[in-house]
Amino acid sequence: MGRTRIDMRVVVLLVLVAAVVFAVPLLTSDRYQLKVLTFVGVNVIIVTGMALLFGYAGQVSLGHAAFYGIGAYSSAYVVTSLGWPWLAGVATALILTAFGGLLLALPSLRLRGHYLAMATLGFGEIMRVVFVEASSLTGGPDGLSGIPYPSFGGFEIDTAGGNYWLVWGTAALCLALSANLVRSRSGRAMRALHGSESGALACGIDLTAVKVRVFVLSAALAGLAGALYAHVVGFISPSTFSLHVSVVIVAMAVLGGTRSLAGPALAAVLLSLIPFADAVLPGLSRSALDTIQEYQEDVYGLTIIAVMLFMPAGLAGVIRGISKRGRRAE
Amino acid sequence: MSLLQVRSVTKRFGGLTAVDDVSFDVHEGAIKSLIGPNGAGKSTLFNVLTAFDRPDEGSVVFDGTDITGLKPHHIVRSGIARTFQNTQLFEEMSALENVMAGAHAVTKAGFATAALRLPWAVREEHDVAEEAGRLLRLVGIGEWATAYAADMPHGLRRLLEISRALATRPRLLLLDEPAAGLNLAETAALAEALYRIRDKGVTIVVVEHDMGLVMEVSDEIVVLDRGRKIAEGPPRLIQKDPAVIAAYLGEEDADEL
Amino acid sequence: MGTTELLQFALAGLKNGSIYALVALGFTLVYAATGAINFAQGEFYMLGGMLSVWAYANLGLPLPLAGLVGVISTAIIGGVFELLAIRPRKDGDPLAIIIITVGGSMLLSSMARHQFGPTERSLPLFSGGGSINIFGAVLEVQTIWILGITGVAVVGLWYLYNRTGLGRAMRACAVDRDAARIVGIDTRKMVTVSFVLAATLGALAGMAVTPLTQTAFDVGPTVGIKGFAAAILGGLGNPIAAVVGGLVLGMLESMSIAFISSTYKDAIALIVLLGVLFVRPQGIMGRSKREKV
Repeated sequence: MGRTRIDMRVVVLLVLVAAVVFAVPLLTSDRYQLKVLTFVGVNVIIVTGMALLFGYAGQVSLGHAAFYGIGAYSSAYVVTSLGWPWLAGVATALILTAFGGLLLALPSLRLRGHYLAMATLGFGEIMRVVFVEASSLTGGPDGLSGIPYPSFGGFEIDTAGGNYWLVWGTAALCLALSANLVRSRSGRAMRALHGSESGALACGIDLTAVKVRVFVLSAALAGLAGALYAHVVGFISPSTFSLHVSVVIVAMAVLGGTRSLAGPALAAVLLSLIPFADAVLPGLSRSALDTIQEYQEDVYGLTIIAVMLFMPAGLAGVIRGISKRGRRAE
Repeated sequence: MSLLQVRSVTKRFGGLTAVDDVSFDVHEGAIKSLIGPNGAGKSTLFNVLTAFDRPDEGSVVFDGTDITGLKPHHIVRSGIARTFQNTQLFEEMSALENVMAGAHAVTKAGFATAALRLPWAVREEHDVAEEAGRLLRLVGIGEWATAYAADMPHGLRRLLEISRALATRPRLLLLDEPAAGLNLAETAALAEALYRIRDKGVTIVVVEHDMGLVMEVSDEIVVLDRGRKIAEGPPRLIQKDPAVIAAYLGEEDADEL
Repeated sequence: MGTTELLQFALAGLKNGSIYALVALGFTLVYAATGAINFAQGEFYMLGGMLSVWAYANLGLPLPLAGLVGVISTAIIGGVFELLAIRPRKDGDPLAIIIITVGGSMLLSSMARHQFGPTERSLPLFSGGGSINIFGAVLEVQTIWILGITGVAVVGLWYLYNRTGLGRAMRACAVDRDAARIVGIDTRKMVTVSFVLAATLGALAGMAVTPLTQTAFDVGPTVGIKGFAAAILGGLGNPIAAVVGGLVLGMLESMSIAFISSTYKDAIALIVLLGVLFVRPQGIMGRSKREKV
């Protein structure tokens, strides 16, 4: 870091990855595979937000599924019950989650780190109760179904491939904007706050303002992901936005590592695919898949512990190590 | 002209009065040192001046404005910058990025403009990087620009923190024991850097134990002992002041006075 | 509402409050030793019940022995968890420990599901059914057991904390870890001890309440969050405050069911949690600590 010249090899790698990701619907028309991979894209969006919050600014949220859910339910509600167009649904999701994030962040971020973690936990659990109890808005424990596909003007995106491109296109955009952000004054402020709070203060950085802004941004990204998920899948219920999901999001950010967007994105891909391993390994036997699904929580829990103990820099640290070695070899 | 006015500042910790009714002025363009035996209250006073702690009594006036009780990041925006006894660098960022971070308060690009890479934000970023490079060269560590702060040798870390503080475009620079742990050559380089900074128009206040450095660079010295100011004046007078010598008797520094 | 009904709700509040108090004590002990929140505390509660059930139903042990086995094995699991998952983290960073215990919580509940299955399990009432009549309100005998076990545990912990060398060492760590290390206290051992004690207390609560509420692999998080809310309500780090917080929270829950509605009853603890964090983070009995930069 500190290089301001663009490394051509990184650009080539990014183009290759983008091409592969883009090409998937052209290579397969298996609906299950496309739906799973679309779901992976949704997770990449959420985890990008968590990467900014946790990997760059060093703040922990244990209730991010709440914002995911607020985004999903608000968009689903305004589109199905109020008849608003899909884009208005997405806008509603963004506004509500950003606002919710602000309401939660302002009082919490005055407090020490672990207080924020517990405040987000409490918030996540409260929202889960709301999702279940406010049945006139959310459909109660059975959730909402029949959520329409995304549509622009009159044009509806009703194919698995189309939705795949919509979600991954959005994910790519989020990653690009976030990449710009971390290389900027604000990105330095986030990294400074994580590096040394006293040092950041000495630079004239308003710590609370930075923390709040990053939190709101990460909440909005989760809300965006929720809005996409609701319309692409067509059905949502409170269990989609549970504490378990919040923990898995944390696992992805932890595995992904610090000061990186690529690491968490990769971690999101890997961990999302675990319960759906048969989408990428078509030869997987039924019993092997059952075993994997049976043990997925163990994997998530162990991943968190192992990374925190043995490789705290996560996949990002591994990627940095590889690229350093590659450069030294020249 | 008096840039900084410290008026009757008092700070207590429970039953202990760490700083007791201390007053002094710092004139613009001067290099002023704050010295005293261990436990004299220098660090506490320093924290009060830089808003990392609140005084129980008294006030601090900077350029005519009362800055007592302001938050640290507001102090920086007023034009006061500081360094730390235990350097608080951003280890995972390069030296250049550390200094660029210091420019935070004097630049404007926010989240949205950065994410969208608006042209003016890109230009501002470029200017910040150039200025940061200049500041690194000013303190003599220009060639370390791309090194991670964590990899820098101890003696140069202080200089990096100083150049980061300079990036805030301060009128007053407060240095907390900048010479601690430096060898003779490094201390001499530090003194040279201080002169160059002073010549750029920055007023400097230094808390220090290294008497050699203090006597050489200071225009004026304030001496604290057990929370009270016991002497103030130019180096040659302080060296002969009986109260100062008495306070240091038994201390290593006394030999160097 | 008549006094009988009010008394009934109060007794329920006392019962739940005792459970929360034990769980809250677990949070406070670990916090005092590490500065971190043990996210897996709810799982210790769950394991106390589950392992007691297993000892009773699978090993065929008599009920009292089964309960003992359940609590002791949970205590051992707590210690092993600390040794394997917390101690290797040499910098002791509280935020890192929180994250590790988050992972640990998921791991422990999943392992419980593998071992004991997804269905609810139960224990027989400790001394059979039956209840006492107090001014018209019904006090179940099992509730007396719960209150009694809580009382004994609290007294035992008080004795340990205030009258033994180990307790003195723990208190020293809670005040200033570095100073404690300087005077020769093995702070790493104190961390392990705190986890073992936290697991014991949580397990006692879980075991005592299983005959009434049954247990399952996933009961940990709900009770854990409530126990944490209680700990924060009283004031983190202070054992007496944890007990006070637990009882107060239990009463608050009961009274809100009595006077408002039972729909959002699970949300009461959460609202209390957020309320305390935002309005008075040091809790009822804590002293306001100004955030020094």
